[in-house]
Amino acid sequence: MRLFTRMTWMPALSAYLLTALALVYASFALPRLLPGDAFIAMYGGGHVAMEAQEEAKIRASARYNAASESFTQYLGRLGRLDWGTSTAYETPVFGLIMHALPWTLLLMGTAHLLSLGLGFILGVEAAWRYDSVPDRLLTSVMTFLEGIPELGSGVLLLLVFALWLGWFPAAGGETVYSGLSPWERTLDILHHLVLPLATLVLAYLPGNALLSRAAMLMTLRQPFMLTAAAKGLPPWRRRYAHAARCALLPVVTRLGLRLAGMLTGVLVVESIHSYPGLGTLLFQAVSLRDLPLISGIALFSSLGVLTVALTLERTYQYLDPRLKQQRVTLHAC
Amino acid sequence: MPAESFSLRRDPWFLFAAIVGGTLLLAATAGPFLAPYDPYDISFTVLEAPSAKHWLGVNDGGMDIFSELLTALRNTIMFGLLAGMAGTGLAVFAGVFSALRQGVTGLMLMRLADMLLAIPSIMPLVLLAALFQPPPSLMALALALFLWAGPSRLINAQARMLVTAPHILAARQMGGSLWYLLRRHLVPEIYPIALIVLASRLRAAMFMEASLAFLGLMDPARKSLGSMIGYGLKYYFLDIWSNWLLPPIVCLSLLIMSATLLAMRMEKRMDPRLQNLS
Repeated sequence: MRLFTRMTWMPALSAYLLTALALVYASFALPRLLPGDAFIAMYGGGHVAMEAQEEAKIRASARYNAASESFTQYLGRLGRLDWGTSTAYETPVFGLIMHALPWTLLLMGTAHLLSLGLGFILGVEAAWRYDSVPDRLLTSVMTFLEGIPELGSGVLLLLVFALWLGWFPAAGGETVYSGLSPWERTLDILHHLVLPLATLVLAYLPGNALLSRAAMLMTLRQPFMLTAAAKGLPPWRRRYAHAARCALLPVVTRLGLRLAGMLTGVLVVESIHSYPGLGTLLFQAVSLRDLPLISGIALFSSLGVLTVALTLERTYQYLDPRLKQQRVTLHAC
Repeated sequence: MPAESFSLRRDPWFLFAAIVGGTLLLAATAGPFLAPYDPYDISFTVLEAPSAKHWLGVNDGGMDIFSELLTALRNTIMFGLLAGMAGTGLAVFAGVFSALRQGVTGLMLMRLADMLLAIPSIMPLVLLAALFQPPPSLMALALALFLWAGPSRLINAQARMLVTAPHILAARQMGGSLWYLLRRHLVPEIYPIALIVLASRLRAAMFMEASLAFLGLMDPARKSLGSMIGYGLKYYFLDIWSNWLLPPIVCLSLLIMSATLLAMRMEKRMDPRLQNLS
């Protein structure tokens, strides 16, 4: 809402840059607040028996945690894509992230597209049939679903469809070493995608559908809808070309505002279904106490979300041409 | 307000949420008295099936799952209440304060909210948890530093309308201090919105606690609905889903659902635009 309407392009960009800089600085400064070196940070609290050789290796791989590095050096290192070395996998952190990223993008992208499209159509159709049986049914089901967390629905879907019925694989993003043709491989990837995707869509759909419905109800009462009806336009044109265009705005706004918060659910869903994305990588990094990898993923995904939010803000201006004419009040919609 | 077309007392969703939420809260409060065993007692037969002695069986560590569930429920709710209340307090303060001081300070505060809203709050928490392993209360307060951002906008919009109202102008004119205005006029009138915000923040905080615990970022010995699901999932191939996995899932879902419904239905009751529809 205000996030999009109030800020014009340049202040928005500089605000985002400032936020990004603050995030990078936090990722630089926080590890340096730790007492002792990287080895003590990781294992100081636990009772771990380790050979001196292994201990030295961990200290060496975490050499960047040295107090001598300045913030500008750190920035430069990040810019050169040298994000440190994972202590558990002993490979560069950035490479690991890049390896997992496509899976997360595939999962999140399809989940948002599906739940936006489907939720919007459901909301528009329900509002058009306001107070009918389908409308009430949809509102009730969506209200109920809105209250179910991904952690619950994800595990239930896994138990029912992967273990009990065996329709979908329980883990992974594709069948490894399968030697499938490109077409079969695509199908295989989609087959693995179904359960995590369904969990996310179940989590995102209700909010989109309910908000679309509410926004549509407001729009349907506008005078221009009466004009459209008086002109004798067919119902589907009035619904989509006239009303739904206005109702789309709050739905996109909500996505922009919620995007950052939605990441939590993605991490959980990926870990439940062992989907090979950033969430599972983070889950493994946490259980292996791999500090460079954990902070790398945290920084990377925060910056990624910022970038997407900024892009959405730009898109919003195309959806609502009035914003180009600056500070016009948005009461018509 | 005109004749009440929509009353919370007769709203089945709201009643359902209030009863379920109240029951869970009661179970969490009375947990230590209800629990048949010490949840940290590891002297039972590992992975024993449910029986009259152990209603939900025994987990892989030899602990009674029912006692564990009560403690986990308590921990998750406590975390949610602490983070939710602190977050709501910050949101009310920031929203009202920046409405009263509409100069640079107010603007900066709202800009800060915009920025915080664009940061995925789980990431700083992950970093914090991985580096420092802070106690849950500190984690809850750290979460509150992110929770206020969204609703402070909502409260700010409401408070900006309020501060131009004649009775508040009069109070300011007569030299009412900031504190007086807050206590006497603004907070009482913001109160209904603050309740909605509290319910929505509770939801966010409990969801976050369960997620962090599930991902293994909280103290592994601490009981939480999230970590119970996490540990149970490791044994999904055994026949434990009905006694080990399902109870925390149902509890967590009911908790989140009741907070969500409370927020949604109160919002519906409050929103004058939705009132005129029926």
